[in-house]
Amino acid sequence: MQVLLINNDGGGFADYIEVPDGASVQDVFTEKVGNRPASDYLIRVNRQPCASQQILQEGDRISITPTKIEGAG
Amino acid sequence: MLRFSPTAWAKLLFLRDYGETEVGGFAITASEDLLFVRDLKLVRQVCSWAHVAFEDESVADLFDEQVDAGLRPEQFGRIWMHTHPGNCPLPSQTDEQTFARVFGQSEWAVMFILARGGKSYARLQMNTGQGASLRIPVEIDYSQSFTGCDHESWESEYLTHVQSHNSKTLFNNQDEDAIDFLENEFRFDLWDETDDFLSQTQRQEERNDHDD
Ligand SMILES: [Zn+2]
Repeated sequence: MQVLLINNDGGGFADYIEVPDGASVQDVFTEKVGNRPASDYLIRVNRQPCASQQILQEGDRISITPTKIEGAG
Repeated sequence: MLRFSPTAWAKLLFLRDYGETEVGGFAITASEDLLFVRDLKLVRQVCSWAHVAFEDESVADLFDEQVDAGLRPEQFGRIWMHTHPGNCPLPSQTDEQTFARVFGQSEWAVMFILARGGKSYARLQMNTGQGASLRIPVEIDYSQSFTGCDHESWESEYLTHVQSHNSKTLFNNQDEDAIDFLENEFRFDLWDETDDFLSQTQRQEERNDHDD
């Protein structure tokens, strides 16, 4: 099945990818981000917070975006 | 070189000077030139006079909105911008830590800082291969047409995204004189500088017309 993935790492990505039926959010995160700390990312499905074990459905939008962006003068 | 459209630069100055705190956002770039800034977008943020922190949810919202608008992440998620008080645009340790952690996984990214005094800093970080890091010049591209200021929508964007820390909380009420000094030291007249910029733009456009 296909889900839309949005991810800023690497070359940046916003496109449909093929994932196996029954794939979880964690599966996609591990495949696309590797072993980076999950706390460095906000992971949402269809713009909503999600559990890592949530099973993805056909057409879901999964976004993996950076967290804790702060600057100081 | 990091280039700004005159309109994007005017918006940046407006947002920098609207409040007394730092402010930050992401540059929106042209699809055919990823170092040409044609707009900038704020995300919801909590700011003090020398600190800015983005809300994670709002960053994710920005990514969703921009993808829905047909942009690629490299057009809106790679040039991290924020302002500094005073006249020093050099990155702080916090800036460097954020840049390395957040943008170090992308193929490339730019850290852009604009100080209130007018100086700017831009550094391009390439994270592929051996990697490279280089300061790049900043330019306003006057060959692009100036589409004018939209103060109303810029103000609205500022007011709906920037939450100011009370500076007295920041300093824990310990030294009221120091607070007064800092607030006065970093207060600039928004309209003077924007007007300077606009008349400069007008002069440049007149020169361009003349050259044509
Ligand atoms: Zn900074």
